[in-house]
Amino acid sequence: MELLIDGIKKAFDMILSGDREVFAITWLTLKVCLISILISTLIGLPLGILLGLTRFKGRRILLLFINIGMGLPPVVAGLWITMLLWRSGPLGDLTLLYSPTAIVMAQILVSLPIVTSLTCTAFQQISEKMLLQIKALGATRMQTLIILIKQLKIAILAAIMAGFGRVIAEVGAAMMVGGNILGDTRILTTTIVMEVSKGNFDIALALSFILLSVALLITAALTFLQQRKRIS
Amino acid sequence: MLRKRYFAVLFALMLLVLSACGNTDTKDTAAAKEKKTAPKPAPTEMILATTTSTQDSGLLDVLVPMFEKENNVKVKTIAVGTGQALEMGTKGEADVLLVHAPAAEKEVVDAGNAINYKRVMYNDFILVGPKENPAGVSGDDIKAAFKKLADSKATFVSRGDDSGTHKKELGIWTAENIKPTGDWYVSTGQGMGQTLQVAAEKKGYVLTDRATWLAQEKNLDTLQIVVEGGKDLMNIYHVMQVNPEKHDKVNSKDAEKFVNFMIDSKTQDVIEEFGKKEYGQSLFFKYTE
Amino acid sequence: MNPLVELNNITYKAQNKTILDIPEFQICAGEFLGIMGPNGAGKSTLLKVLAFLENQSSGAILYRGEVIPKGNVPLELRRKFSIALQQSLLLDGTVFHNIAIGLTLRKMPKTVIKEKVAHWLELFGISHLAKKNALYLSGGEAQRVNLARAMIIEPEILFLDEPFSALDFPTKIKLMEDFKGIIETARTTAVFVSHDLMEINYLTNRLAIIVNGEVKQSGPTPRVLEHPNSSTASFLNEWKKFYPLAR
Repeated sequence: MELLIDGIKKAFDMILSGDREVFAITWLTLKVCLISILISTLIGLPLGILLGLTRFKGRRILLLFINIGMGLPPVVAGLWITMLLWRSGPLGDLTLLYSPTAIVMAQILVSLPIVTSLTCTAFQQISEKMLLQIKALGATRMQTLIILIKQLKIAILAAIMAGFGRVIAEVGAAMMVGGNILGDTRILTTTIVMEVSKGNFDIALALSFILLSVALLITAALTFLQQRKRIS
Repeated sequence: MLRKRYFAVLFALMLLVLSACGNTDTKDTAAAKEKKTAPKPAPTEMILATTTSTQDSGLLDVLVPMFEKENNVKVKTIAVGTGQALEMGTKGEADVLLVHAPAAEKEVVDAGNAINYKRVMYNDFILVGPKENPAGVSGDDIKAAFKKLADSKATFVSRGDDSGTHKKELGIWTAENIKPTGDWYVSTGQGMGQTLQVAAEKKGYVLTDRATWLAQEKNLDTLQIVVEGGKDLMNIYHVMQVNPEKHDKVNSKDAEKFVNFMIDSKTQDVIEEFGKKEYGQSLFFKYTE
Repeated sequence: MNPLVELNNITYKAQNKTILDIPEFQICAGEFLGIMGPNGAGKSTLLKVLAFLENQSSGAILYRGEVIPKGNVPLELRRKFSIALQQSLLLDGTVFHNIAIGLTLRKMPKTVIKEKVAHWLELFGISHLAKKNALYLSGGEAQRVNLARAMIIEPEILFLDEPFSALDFPTKIKLMEDFKGIIETARTTAVFVSHDLMEINYLTNRLAIIVNGEVKQSGPTPRVLEHPNSSTASFLNEWKKFYPLAR
């Protein structure tokens, strides 16, 4: 209990005193996570729509892999990315290992299946008749797509939130491919692991509150976007 | 219409973040900001694979910025177990190693995977155990203490992660011809900090380096030092370069600089001073050849 | 009189089963054409083919005497028609937004849209619902919005697929009455699929009976209903037991 209060106090101290290191770590966390989820959305949304609305050869196999990917353990994703980026690996020349880009890659790998699969599920539930009706109203393909995206706003944002939750909570892959390097790849989750291993529970706890606040803020913004303007 | 604007704002925000990330490498650290004022060529990157004890004790947070500033190098410190660090060196995934398992290091050096092998510093291992000390071990003879622990089957918590400390512990068991197995022998597979916490919860004995112990002692009030000071307990750190002839992507220029930096007398003084303020004693001692 | 849409030796197959087989069929300007037949006769498929929403398997479809290439229907042509189905299939948004959508998709100026929506809301007697969410309407209200949404674009042909069949009787009667008035004033050509003799009898002036994918009889509605031929008699006489013809 004492530790909990200490942790909250310390978190406030860190934020109020404008601790530069904590600020940098938080900012990096925010950047890495938002970029990951942005890219996952930019790829996953169209892919999910394609899988949800069309039927093509190999679609079910692809969907199967994506659904398996939803449960991909971050450390496995981390391991794959690490091996890919090793100096001796296929992408070794890019020297991306232990960089924020590597973390983004791993986070995309774990969040893309979630965004894609949940988007696909939403679009698959649109009835043939609804599609026919929209077409009959004189919509072009693009207009149909825009109407559907607006109609499924709630489900799409839920998919993005689920992906974001995965990304911000993830630590195994970030540790492995990022290396927890101060000022470079140290993000909130990896810092928490490190501080716990150092025995600095108060700092770890304080950081956990900061992490939760960041997650809360982003999720709240997305929820607001999702739930606004529902006319009765 | 309002909705459209909201989306646009969100999108713009994300783009802003995206563009800001384009040059993450240089923007974040305070050190990088200083660099900006004095125009210098872009720093080269060097990967240092080391053990958790050097990072968790905070020593590297002092040494690495010193080195970076002097040499315009960006050091990427990867803190892992000694076993993994040596493996990274062997595979050419790191440029320079700072580790503490002499027997294992020797193999790597003998195989020609590492060169420029230099002794840097030492501290010591200690055996800590529950304050009640059920096995009744004491003194400075670690081998006798291990034998007693095995005989009494008192709970022993091992790192079990192929780290330098783990290698040290296994070496002692082997020397005494004991195969530690059974309920009393707990293997955590985790870092020193977590392993100490497990030992505190389970009231077990654990072999640890002194630096980590001093840093963590405040959280471990059920444990105390029971064996310390014997010559078998010396914990020696070596620095070495990965052999550039074996891997063409190795940054040997900066690695060589780092080895020289570590054995430089100025650096050695910093090492010995480190921790005196906070713990009243040094965490590492000068020990060059 | 030149037909608006004309079918020429049309077949429609799905999974090797012939759903439609129609040597010739026409929609003429100004008529209210009924298509009637038992369940599974192919009525809805015929409607979709006529509205260029479904591609025929073989044969040609002509619009104003011109063959329209299969699978490559110009958008402007598609936009001359509109359709209202049994389910209202409204979108999550206001009633105003739902009725306006056809015009929005055609990129009409906002002021025009506002004016037209107000006009059609008025005609269907639902002006008070304009700001309500369309998903929270009663069945009758929703169907009024559905029909207004289809009518607002002033289609050359309005296609209707059982738009009244899910409504309870009093609601249905009231809506059909209103709708008949509206469509007669607007002089819209309409094609109306139904299996309900009462609806057909009340609304249409020409009737085609379709059984097993084939048009078995067509002609002015009263004549077809009063004089069914050998192929349509069994189907129509079942109905007439419960619904003695009186116009």
